[in-house]
Amino acid sequence: MKYLARRLLLFVVGLFAISVVIFLALRVLPGDIATIMAGLNSPPERVEALRAQMGLDRQLIVQYGAWIAGLVRGDFGTAMLTGQPVAALVGTRAAITFPLIILGLIIALAIGIPTGCAAVLARSPRARAVYQGVAIVGGAVPALWGGLILILLFARGSGLIPILPASGFPQAGWADPGRALASLVLPALTVGVIVGASMMRYTRSALQSVASTGTIEMAMACGMTRTQALTRVGLRLAMPQLVSVIGLTFAEMITGVMVIENLFALPGIGSGLVDDLGHRDLIAVQSELFMLAAFFLVIGLLVDIAHRALDPRLGD
Amino acid sequence: MTATNGANGAHGESGATEGHTNQQDTAFSTDASLQAHAKRPGGGPRRSIWAIVAVIVIAVALIVGFWHPWARKADQTQSSGAADTVAIGLKLAPTNLDIRNTAGSALDQVLIGNVYEGLVARSSENKVVPALAKSWDVSADGLKYTFHLNTGLTFSNGDPLTAEDVVWSINELESKQYHDADALKNSKSVSAPNSDTVVIELTKPYANLLWALTGRAGLVFDKDAKYVAKTQAVGSGPYVVEQFTPNSSITLKANPEYWGAQPKTPTVVVKYFADDNAAVNALKSNEVQVLAPITASLAKPFEDDPAHYTVEAGDGTDKYVLGMNNAAGKPTGDKRVREAIRYAIDHDQLIAARGGADKALGGPIPSLDPGYEDLTGLYPHDVEKAKALLTEAGYTKEHPLKLTLTYANTYGTDIGDQLRSQLKAVNIDLKVNVVEFSTWLQDVYTDKDYDLSLVDHNESHDFTQWSNADYYYNYNNPKVAELTDEALGSTDDAKRDELLAQAARIVSQDAAADWLFNYRVTTAMDKGVSGFPVNMNQTLMPLAELSYTPAVTK
Repeated sequence: MKYLARRLLLFVVGLFAISVVIFLALRVLPGDIATIMAGLNSPPERVEALRAQMGLDRQLIVQYGAWIAGLVRGDFGTAMLTGQPVAALVGTRAAITFPLIILGLIIALAIGIPTGCAAVLARSPRARAVYQGVAIVGGAVPALWGGLILILLFARGSGLIPILPASGFPQAGWADPGRALASLVLPALTVGVIVGASMMRYTRSALQSVASTGTIEMAMACGMTRTQALTRVGLRLAMPQLVSVIGLTFAEMITGVMVIENLFALPGIGSGLVDDLGHRDLIAVQSELFMLAAFFLVIGLLVDIAHRALDPRLGD
Repeated sequence: MTATNGANGAHGESGATEGHTNQQDTAFSTDASLQAHAKRPGGGPRRSIWAIVAVIVIAVALIVGFWHPWARKADQTQSSGAADTVAIGLKLAPTNLDIRNTAGSALDQVLIGNVYEGLVARSSENKVVPALAKSWDVSADGLKYTFHLNTGLTFSNGDPLTAEDVVWSINELESKQYHDADALKNSKSVSAPNSDTVVIELTKPYANLLWALTGRAGLVFDKDAKYVAKTQAVGSGPYVVEQFTPNSSITLKANPEYWGAQPKTPTVVVKYFADDNAAVNALKSNEVQVLAPITASLAKPFEDDPAHYTVEAGDGTDKYVLGMNNAAGKPTGDKRVREAIRYAIDHDQLIAARGGADKALGGPIPSLDPGYEDLTGLYPHDVEKAKALLTEAGYTKEHPLKLTLTYANTYGTDIGDQLRSQLKAVNIDLKVNVVEFSTWLQDVYTDKDYDLSLVDHNESHDFTQWSNADYYYNYNNPKVAELTDEALGSTDDAKRDELLAQAARIVSQDAAADWLFNYRVTTAMDKGVSGFPVNMNQTLMPLAELSYTPAVTK
């Protein structure tokens, strides 16, 4: 309980520090949204008028105060360019990115954990070398290239087996669940294969480190076969390590899948962030970054709590 | 996408144990014979769970995949065989719909002529043609323009469009200083003598007035309508905005209240692709039927398949301007240096490298604009001459001229590399600095802190930037300003064109900049598409005539 309280306090302090860093870092960037809105042939007075209209002529501390006051009330502000509430913008983008990540992660786990176990179970050095090779090659595939290969194989129009849409998210969004899900299959496979390869490596080394503690021999001495010992006892003991890796991977994928989102023309969180930054829509960018940072912290918190639940030795 | 092991404290040393695990494994394998005798079912359940998961994932993927194209086949067609919906793939997306406040040709492209209309419009040859006004008279002294509106004009919300709305729109533009307000020069008053006549009076003649009214400055808005301009649009055009997703897509639906003939296609979906490969795949898979712009190399497969696709390059007013900082004190403030740069650039090579669709351009005015004259002969590619000029200015092989070229990343890195190698031959050591567009805007456009800059000035009729000494070129020639003023003040179009041509020739002779080429947009379309504008379609894309008849076997 005391641990939880300390952890939560750290969480709040962390958020505050992050908000200051984000706010200041963005102010250092050259260029501003008013010049972009005014375009190449507008007189300078128009730029000034736009700056005033958007409140960019106020002192930095006032702008920061206004932003934080909004955050405390749960108001993430309104994007200056699109005129939409940032929370709603992030919501629509998250409705693409999160299902993509979850689908990708499921595929990654479905590939990574069994192959990781198999890599440890394999007895001949040659088989182990093959698994090692697969893991390295799989992890080294550039996302862009992997995606293009999948498009060449399965996309309608250009693929060998033209069954899936090559790009885009349906206009209706999740109101059209079939098409929405279909549009995520290829990108999720691309992500899944690549992340799956690193999941395989993590599973393998986690199992090996568990094996090195002698628990596997113990289990075998109790009558289990080596396969049983590794998959039942070994995996159970390796779980805390794997949970950390999965948690961190999940958080990283939010922006990490950006290349994939661009390739498949999915308007997700990562590409949205880059767009907004390119337009210097600072209110949108700072709130988006803040939400991401908060999410990272929450994941970290959950991972820590999960650790304690999974590993009784860490109790109190 | 790799998480670090170190982040999980107590369990972080898994890597360190790898060294002796091999030993452990071999120790296990001594039990191989024992294990071989073990009862099979023991290892079974775990494995079969994973097998089930894998099967489910694959099954879901396949079912969804197969189901999807069938669902799509339900696309209705009109009785004529033309499709109800046509999708267009574009590149530069608008961030909002507020055409009065937000700059960027992406808004003009999708909204003008489709959702909003002006008194007058532009033809595909960049000439002024009637729109809301069916005709107009200009007084002999060029000070009074009388517009006669069409009858039965309405906005998409059902409100009638009258001369009152026109007057209100222009007055708002000037009082609120909306975008392009400065396009309406010399205006004295706007009035509506009756509900279908609008009179604009000027303090002195302005030759570009009608042309200015074809753009944002002439758009007519509903003075009584209340709507959120960033996300909604109420205009008088043949289409209304049904759905808008910033940076992603716009769905246009035929406006049932439209005063003219209904557009040929009831629904047009405009999709924006940041990634060129995604765009090409969308055309290949028939998710879009039109793609503009497309680069020459990506258009090649479509060109090679004329049975299914049409590929066409259109004329436009895009000028790829290699800006040179004319300010005194800069190396490029020296005319000999600027001339040397112009001689050093092999424009034909640049154009060929881009696929050959673009046109050489020797001066600031492109062929679709008034005052055009072929000036490509002024500075032909001549390496020796360039070297001689630079030597005269004090730069040699031993002491090369160091310059920095700053441009936005939207133009790619190829063009900068080519310029660097071309200028290398004449002893210029060019550093290429590719930045974000907003950084370019700040450093080059606003602060004028640069040597060379590259930007696509796509606006039409923008010659006045050369008579503005405050513009980022730092170019100041009173003679040019004088000729431009005289041209804009003339009441005779032929005289205006002649004066502008004279001024443009001076700008080019001064080597105020180099005009790399006149970019021509390449459009790739499905064979069944007709009525899509090929000329200038990145600034004006009227869609009323667009239709698409799918091939029967596709």
